[in-house]
Amino acid sequence: MIRIENLSKRYNTKLALDQLSMHIKKGVIFGLLGPNGAGKTTLIAILNGLSSFEKGSIEIFGLALNSHLKQIRKRCTFIPQSLALYENLSVVENLRFFAGIQLIAGSELKNNLDYAISVNHLENLLDQKAATLSGGQKRRLNIAIGLLNNPEILYFDEPTIGIDPESRNDILETIRSFKEDNKTVIYTSHYMDEIEKICDEAAIINHGKIVLQGNLQAMLKENRDPSMSLESLFIQLTSHHWDDGHA
Amino acid sequence: MLNAMLRKEFILILRDKHALAALFIMPSIFILIMSMALKDTFDTDRPFIRYAIIDQDQTEISFKIVSALSNNKTLEQHNKKITEQDQLLKALNSGLHFALTIPKGFAEQFDNEKASRLLHLNVASDVKQDMLALFKGELTRVITILRIEEMLQELEAVLPGITEKTDPFMHSTNNRIEVHFNGLKPDQHPSSTQQSVPSWIVFGMFFIIIPMSTIFINERKQNTLMRMQAMNISIPILFAGKIIPYMLINQIQVWLMIGVGVFIVPLLGADALTLGNSLPGLFMVSTGLSLAAIGTSIVIAVSVNTVEQATTIGGIINILFGAIGGVMVPKFFMPQSMQTLSNISPMSWGLEGFLDIFLRALSSRAVLTESLALAGFGIVLLFIAWAIFARRTRNGT
Repeated sequence: MIRIENLSKRYNTKLALDQLSMHIKKGVIFGLLGPNGAGKTTLIAILNGLSSFEKGSIEIFGLALNSHLKQIRKRCTFIPQSLALYENLSVVENLRFFAGIQLIAGSELKNNLDYAISVNHLENLLDQKAATLSGGQKRRLNIAIGLLNNPEILYFDEPTIGIDPESRNDILETIRSFKEDNKTVIYTSHYMDEIEKICDEAAIINHGKIVLQGNLQAMLKENRDPSMSLESLFIQLTSHHWDDGHA
Repeated sequence: MLNAMLRKEFILILRDKHALAALFIMPSIFILIMSMALKDTFDTDRPFIRYAIIDQDQTEISFKIVSALSNNKTLEQHNKKITEQDQLLKALNSGLHFALTIPKGFAEQFDNEKASRLLHLNVASDVKQDMLALFKGELTRVITILRIEEMLQELEAVLPGITEKTDPFMHSTNNRIEVHFNGLKPDQHPSSTQQSVPSWIVFGMFFIIIPMSTIFINERKQNTLMRMQAMNISIPILFAGKIIPYMLINQIQVWLMIGVGVFIVPLLGADALTLGNSLPGLFMVSTGLSLAAIGTSIVIAVSVNTVEQATTIGGIINILFGAIGGVMVPKFFMPQSMQTLSNISPMSWGLEGFLDIFLRALSSRAVLTESLALAGFGIVLLFIAWAIFARRTRNGT
């Protein structure tokens, strides 16, 4: 579904991604882990065509990203960490606006709106201004906007930041439900317990390189003693590389 | 796609009370205030030179001078009698422009061709040269007429009827001059409304800088723009989604302020705005001006990082363009050097275009240069904004 080969990206003198290769299969929930500045957001931006890259190749749905960006984008969605919506518009106005700019109309609009609203439990909030929603409700609206094109691939960039545990669980349940619809999810988070809870596969990135990648259960089995959590493994792997880099 | 963007932009503006106040109420109030404040400046029959006469001579000739000066509508005689030097100085320091002393014995010397400096004129220190020349000219005219009348009476003995024959020429000179203001109908004269409505339309149109850049920066900070790009919205479509609604808003502003000039200003006692003869010309100037204002707004929005920076920089640019461009102080009040400098401000181009239409009643052909210059200025800024925005997007800043 997503095939990345030897991807490199540089910001001036800093190497953000270094010969990164990755293969993500259809229908999996894929966790992307890494400390701040590791290159996760850069990778997500590149996959959405929001940032360029110098070397390597990316194929999504078997299509080269650079030459088929518009077609690929129509089948994907990007749900940013920030609340990328309009506070002064109501919930339904936000949804209709983002559907409108994607030229979603007619029965497709109705079906996709219904799906986005019901998955995110927004039925009773449609006429409420986004500014008056709680943090968790805004996050759900942020996700609903991303579902308007009924995407096959969903990129989530830390979607649970700054919300209460109940809303967080709601959102994680929602994301897990996408698996039942055979959607592919690429999920970045700082919360290891979230990754453990919802992801099938994961990659740990540090300094623009993949430190570890594969099936999550297998990764944990191979790399830790029974008492070791993903968080301990993450700290062990990323601090090891940090030490290497500064030796 | 564009429909959704236009609808969104309109809803956001209509729900922003501060933006509505800045775009529609503020310039309308400015028009009302400035039309009233400058009302007298454009009244050709308004007394604007205040003078006093200290008549120490008290003769028929001195009475005639007092009487002749009082007939001039542009002169206003001081209503308090001045007899002492202290009173004279006090009056000259508090609004009186001139104090004319007709000394005792003036009438006796009046027909003495060798006598000089018969009258004494005290002038307030803040009187401008043109006002002094005007008053001295009027005084000279009055004295000359009186002297000619005297001479005609002397000639009456040898040329009977000459006084009667020359009288119409002596006392009705004003009726022989028809004043025709360029571009206006013979019975029209420039008014404060014709001057202030174009000025504040121009100023008000540039006020879109603040709401437009505020919305844009919030969209960028919250990654809404990035999300839209990920939804295949290109930069030209993104910019078109800003340009079109704000052009419509600018047109609404223009017609609202014209409405204020035509219907509300006369209710407060000033002259109503007359629209001139060229609606296409009006549309050309307002469209050019709109592009210039939108270009400026988008360049600011894509260049700065915070709403505070945008409102500060936008406000400063607006005021500077307005001050230089003749919005706050009409150009004809400025010295020549400042009038030349004012040409660097796009507000000046727009203002001249509107004045061509409203004040000089010219055709659309006359405003073609200004309209093209404004549109060109706006388009260049839009391309600059495009380049800056594309670079910032690539760099993720």
